[in-house]
Amino acid sequence: MQFAEIDGLLLKTMLTAGFVNLQKNISVIDSLNVFPVPDGDTGTNMSLTLEGGLKALSSSDMNTSDVDNCLQIFARGSLMGARGNSGVILSQFIKGIAMFAKGLDTFSIENFSAALSSGTLKAYSAVIKPTEGTMLTVMRETSSYAKENHGKYNDFTLFFTEIVAVMKKSLQHTPELLPVLKEAGVVDSGGAGLLCIFEGMLQALTGDSVTDITLEFDAPRRPGTIDSPNTTFNRYSVLEYGYCTEFILQLMDAKVDIDNFEIKTIIGFLETLGDSIVAIKDEDLIKVHVHTFNPGEVINYCQRFGEFVTIKIENMSVQHNESSLDVKPRRKYAVVAVCSGDGLKDYFGSIGVDYVIDGGQTQNPPMEAFVKAYNSLNAEHIFVLPNNSNILLVALQSAENYTDSVIHVVPTKSIAEGYSALSMMDLTSDTADEVIADMLYAVSNVSTALVTTAVRDTVYNGMEIKKDNYIGLDKDTIYSCSPNKIDAAISLLSKIEDIEDKQVLTLFYGENATEEEVEQLFDHVNTAYPLMETAAIYGGQNIYDFIMAIE
Amino acid sequence: MKKYAIIADSTSDLSTDLLKEYDIDYARMGFVVDEQEHPAALEWDEVSPAEYYNMMRAGKKIRTLQVSAETFKEKFNEYLDKDMDILYIGCSSALSGSVNLGSIIARDIMETNPEAKIICIDSLISSLGQGHLVLTAAKMRREGKTIEEVAEYIESIKLTVNQFGTVETMEYLKRAGRIKASKAFFGNLFGIKPIIISDVIGQNFAVKKVKGTYNSKLEIARMVADVVINPEEQTLYISHADSIEDAHILRDEILKLVTFKDVYINYIGPIVGASTGPGTIIAYCVGKEVTIEGKE
Repeated sequence: MQFAEIDGLLLKTMLTAGFVNLQKNISVIDSLNVFPVPDGDTGTNMSLTLEGGLKALSSSDMNTSDVDNCLQIFARGSLMGARGNSGVILSQFIKGIAMFAKGLDTFSIENFSAALSSGTLKAYSAVIKPTEGTMLTVMRETSSYAKENHGKYNDFTLFFTEIVAVMKKSLQHTPELLPVLKEAGVVDSGGAGLLCIFEGMLQALTGDSVTDITLEFDAPRRPGTIDSPNTTFNRYSVLEYGYCTEFILQLMDAKVDIDNFEIKTIIGFLETLGDSIVAIKDEDLIKVHVHTFNPGEVINYCQRFGEFVTIKIENMSVQHNESSLDVKPRRKYAVVAVCSGDGLKDYFGSIGVDYVIDGGQTQNPPMEAFVKAYNSLNAEHIFVLPNNSNILLVALQSAENYTDSVIHVVPTKSIAEGYSALSMMDLTSDTADEVIADMLYAVSNVSTALVTTAVRDTVYNGMEIKKDNYIGLDKDTIYSCSPNKIDAAISLLSKIEDIEDKQVLTLFYGENATEEEVEQLFDHVNTAYPLMETAAIYGGQNIYDFIMAIE
Repeated sequence: MKKYAIIADSTSDLSTDLLKEYDIDYARMGFVVDEQEHPAALEWDEVSPAEYYNMMRAGKKIRTLQVSAETFKEKFNEYLDKDMDILYIGCSSALSGSVNLGSIIARDIMETNPEAKIICIDSLISSLGQGHLVLTAAKMRREGKTIEEVAEYIESIKLTVNQFGTVETMEYLKRAGRIKASKAFFGNLFGIKPIIISDVIGQNFAVKKVKGTYNSKLEIARMVADVVINPEEQTLYISHADSIEDAHILRDEILKLVTFKDVYINYIGPIVGASTGPGTIIAYCVGKEVTIEGKE
């Protein structure tokens, strides 16, 4: 339908449609929310704001057939309903529009454009420190488009169609302006909310039913929850998980009978090729999500029915921000550590190790392994944690011969020391010396306690040791021996000189130890040393049943 | 001179006694548990601190609500009707939208009523750091200072209030999105305690990590000693989320290094507590101006 003007009644319909469309997308918008406070409530807050305005309109007995009255009441109600930063900004945007509407019966396209500018100004003034890359940017860019181009239009429907397109573009651009969005891989949530409102308003003009497929954004990776191992996918890697493949397919009249096309057709095919399948048909659009080893086949097959609106294919073995196609930019710091055991490798990866070299007691890695690690990292400074006194030397040699990066070998002589150094590491420090100082300080405070099995009968310092009994040792001295694993550990702990002053015991249990054994040991520790905090991590190492870092 | 009201909000964490003694009012925020809204009362009249924090320990999710527009209007009009001016000292704008909304409502009121005077201050801090600023304002009012004098002074000193806190786990702060922490804090680090300051734009920033709970208190004591100015003339503030023993240990460690005029200890209120979690302890003192801005 065509509209040269908007009166209060039509405006009310549009606002209601905007609210409905926003409501439909609340959870998506909430999940985009990372700025300024990532508490996931932007959609809710904006929705409550509009709801406040609409409630005020429906409970008012004033004549709201003119845009002035309609907006004054709506603006007041919106402010009363406003919650959160996004709600307040939205309410001020509305207030600014209402201020311009004073005395107007209807909006012309020209008036409306000017009102948008007034709203934008008001919204900016509502924020103490306006930030670009937010809803404010979307408002500003949209109103500035409207201001410059309103003369081209004499129909609100066309005008709104264009406005919504501009808004979308502006929204897609927000991650470029606000790094926190880019890091999280999202567009601004408030801007997305605003777009939903305007899309709803447009649908009221076109008479379309309001659909919810138009919002296609990824859920954000929450800061602090992405800590999977930082492994790089290279020529030695195995494709473990396949590709996360997502696309929107526009069904084409030329290719298929759209109305009678059944999504089952696609699902049936996808099931032969992958899992985690989500496939929906919304009128003439198909949205597909599938994990598959053969994305090409999926794409080829689906193109029989239409053309792609968007496609995204990601190797799930690679972190999102680390595409295997990109050359890694040179960075300031990188960390290499030697350890063995699947659990330990994963865990070290999760607390900041960029490259794990497989090795440890009785399994000393060659110098080439270090050089290969350094080559792959492309960093100014590389910190190396050998985590074993037998590996220290080869690490030092590798450092001497390497010229592309400054190699700093942190002389950690056990996994416990390596863990302690990593846990206190701070790669935001300005200099490599500071990073090393923190790590060395941590290492100086940690005691290592190990439990393993004796490989033969022997006598050590007057202690009779039987083959296959459990022995407790620190980095080099045996302190206890017992047929019982837990007893060997308990006795070992009691011999640590300053155990009474220690506060944290972190235990990595090996492939031959069980959670029950850890529990038994911790029961004892908690009784004997009540101030000690305990934590257990599956290390999966083969020689030591228990590796304990006592700090 | 016109009389004026001093209004804080639910994050100022002052006890009922002090609020009464110094004639301080506060605008209530709210919290939501099991889809039920409750006013965030510093009087703890609906739930006791122990009940509240035990609820969190039991895993109940608590959401917080900023001061609503309605509440601001009512609160402001209550005093305007008594022909009083208003000084509102709100929670850091980096943690709550309240002070922003309060300013807008105030501007709206003043536009239609030129007689009205409402001054809103973004304290850039919360809990007893904010509480200290509010108390300072109330003490100046007693001395007969005008609202402008007080507002100007509070603005000028607000960044000299230093915060040093630590939490049992960063999970609550992360979940609530109310912490900036560098990459030094990523991963599951056991036994690591962050030292959390309020930075130059009023956000919580994990500035340092320390191994062990006791060590974290020693570190806070050292940091307080490092920044404090004229301790013998000021109160040391400690707020805690239902962990009075820890608060006492922290107090003792600080007093080993520095002599304060006195010490004020109180619970962390329901709003700040909801985003820091049980077991949090925070020390506040006045000292060198805060200049750090937290980055991720």
